[in-house]
Amino acid sequence: MTETLFSDRTVADRTLACEGATLEYSDAGRTTFALRDVSVTLPPGKFYGIMGPSGSGKSSLLYVMSGLKEPTGGSARFGGFVYNRNTETAVTDLRRTRFGFVFQQPFLLPYLTALENIVVAAPLPDKAAQEKAMRLLAHLGMDGLENKQPSQLSGGEKQRVSVVRAMMSDPDVIFADEPTASLDRKNGFRVIEALAGWRDRGGTVVVVTHDGDMLAGADTIIHLRDGELTDEGDK
Amino acid sequence: MRNPLSPLTYFSRNPGKVLPMGFVIVLCVFLIASIATMVNSIDLTILTIYGYTRSFTYAIPQRVSLRIPEEQVKIMKADPRVDRVFEGSVFFTNIKTVMGRFPFVVLGVTPDNRDYLLKRVDTGLIAGRMPAEGMPEAALSEPIAQNKKVKIGDIIAGPTDAGGISGSPVAVRCVGILRGPVWFAVTSKSFCDQTFITSPRCLIYTTKNPDDLFGVNNTMLPPVNKKNGKLDGTKLNLLSYQNLVHELRDSLSSMFLIMGVVNGTVIFVISLMSGMLANIYFTQRISEFAVLSAIGYRRSQLIGRIVAETALLTTIGWLVGALVTVTFLTIFKTAVFEPRGLIIDPQDLYAYKWTIPIPFAITAFAVTTISIRLMKLDPVSIIERR
Repeated sequence: MTETLFSDRTVADRTLACEGATLEYSDAGRTTFALRDVSVTLPPGKFYGIMGPSGSGKSSLLYVMSGLKEPTGGSARFGGFVYNRNTETAVTDLRRTRFGFVFQQPFLLPYLTALENIVVAAPLPDKAAQEKAMRLLAHLGMDGLENKQPSQLSGGEKQRVSVVRAMMSDPDVIFADEPTASLDRKNGFRVIEALAGWRDRGGTVVVVTHDGDMLAGADTIIHLRDGELTDEGDK
Repeated sequence: MRNPLSPLTYFSRNPGKVLPMGFVIVLCVFLIASIATMVNSIDLTILTIYGYTRSFTYAIPQRVSLRIPEEQVKIMKADPRVDRVFEGSVFFTNIKTVMGRFPFVVLGVTPDNRDYLLKRVDTGLIAGRMPAEGMPEAALSEPIAQNKKVKIGDIIAGPTDAGGISGSPVAVRCVGILRGPVWFAVTSKSFCDQTFITSPRCLIYTTKNPDDLFGVNNTMLPPVNKKNGKLDGTKLNLLSYQNLVHELRDSLSSMFLIMGVVNGTVIFVISLMSGMLANIYFTQRISEFAVLSAIGYRRSQLIGRIVAETALLTTIGWLVGALVTVTFLTIFKTAVFEPRGLIIDPQDLYAYKWTIPIPFAITAFAVTTISIRLMKLDPVSIIERR
C-alpha cells in the first residue's frame, strides 16, 4: 500500500485554489462574513492544515474548496474546473470521483456493516470494491471489523472507517473537517496518521482542526481569523 | 454482496421503520378489496341465481293476461334462429341472498321439455329422482338446497311461506338434487297448472346456437315497444340475461358510486397518512441522505433511491394485502357464505382493480413531498448541526 497514485495526472490538474472567495450569510437583515476575499492555492500531494479559532471560517473554507458550498463572491476551483461555472450535478460528480470526505462525526449508515459503509463510496459496489475496502481496512489495522455494525464499533474505529470510506474512490483530495474533535488524543492521532498516509501515496489532504498538535505532520498550515487569511506557509 | 443502498438491504435491516408503513398499505388494500368484493357479491349473487337465462329466455304476459298472445308465439316460432318454443308454468321458492330473501323460479315443464332444458344448462340429477307428473314435487340444484338447508324429502314451498310471490297452497317437497353450472329448479307443468290456476303461463324459448340467444332477445324485444310483425313489449315481459344485467347495473349504480367515493376517500386519507409516515422516517434518515449527498451522490440518485424504496414497499404491501384479502375472504366464504348457499368470489379481479390506485397514490404522495425536501437539502447544514 505504498505505491504512488495519481502519477498520470499533472500538478495543474490537481491543484485546489480559491480566488477572492467570499461567503456571506444574511441573518435577520444582518450580514455575516464566513469568508472574506480569501485567495489560496494548494498544490497537490501535500498535507494542509486549516486552523483558527471558533467562527474563523475554517470549515467554510473547506466546504468552499470542496464544492459543498458555493462562494457568494470570488471562485473556487480544482485544476481547471471552476465550481461556479459548472452545474450542481457536475460539482457533485467531482466530489464523488475526485474527493473524499471525513467529517467531525463519522456519519456511518447505522444499518450497514463497516464494509458496506465503505463500499457505499465506491464508484460501483462490486466484488472489486469489496476487496479494495478489505485491503484498506487491513492497512489501517482494522481487520475483523468489516462485518460489525457502527453500533458495535468504538468512536475511533468509526472515524477510521469513515477515513477508509473517504479513500475508496482513490480521491485526489481528502477533506477532513475536525476529524479528531470527537475523539480522545490517542484515537485522534491514529486518524491523522491514516490521513497523512494518503499524502504519502501522492494524495492531497486538507484537515480543519483547532488542535495544533494534530497538525504536527502537516506540510502547510493556513491560519484564518474572522473569515480572513492571516497566514499561510510551509512549516 | 448486495448493493448496500438497495431497498431490500434497507427493508431487511429496518423492519421497525418499514413494517408500520407496510401494515397501513396492507390494511388499506384489505379494506377496499373486501368492501368491493362484498358489494360485488350482490351482483354476482343475482347473476348466478339467474344464470340460467344465458341458456334460455322466458317471457311472461303483462297485465291481466294469463298467456302470451298466440300472434306473439307465432313471431317467436318464425325466427330461424329459434330452436324450441314451449309453454311452462312457474311457482317461486324463497332463497337467502346478501340482500335478503329472493324468490327463485321453479319451472314447471313437461318431462320432454324438462330433459331438453337440463341438457341446455348442462345439468343432471345426482340424487333422488325427477318430480312426478302432477305431484307437489321439485328437483333443485345443490346450491339452492344448501341455501335453503333442505334435503330430499324436505318441503321447499308451502302455504306458510312468507313474503311476496313465493309459496304454494300445498307443500312442495324436494325429491331430487341437480348438479350443474347454474342454479336450476324444476317441477311438473301439470302440477303447476292444476295448483296455480291464476298464475300466468310463461313462454320459454331457446336458440339453435346458444350464442344467438342475446341477439334473438334484442331483435324480439328491444327496450321500445315493437309491433308490425315483431313482439309487442306491451304484452309481455322478457326475463333475459341482458335485461337482468342492465337492470342490475342500473339499480347498483348508486351503490357503486358511493363505493367509489368511499374508496377514493380511503385511498386519499391512507396516502396522506403513509406520505406523512414516510416523511417522518425520512426526517430520521436526513443525515444519511446528507452524507450521501456530500460524498457525491446526485440529488436524482437520492430521489431515485426514495422512489425505488417507496415503490417496492407499496408493491410488496399491495401484494401482501391482496394475499391477506384472498385468504380472509376464502375462509369467510367457506365458513360463512357457502354453508348458507351465498355467493362471494374471493378472487374477484374487479374488486382488486379498486385497490390498484393505492400503491400509485402512496408512492406519488410520499415521493413528491420527500423529493421537494431532497431538492432543498443542504448537506453542510445537516453535517454541521451534528
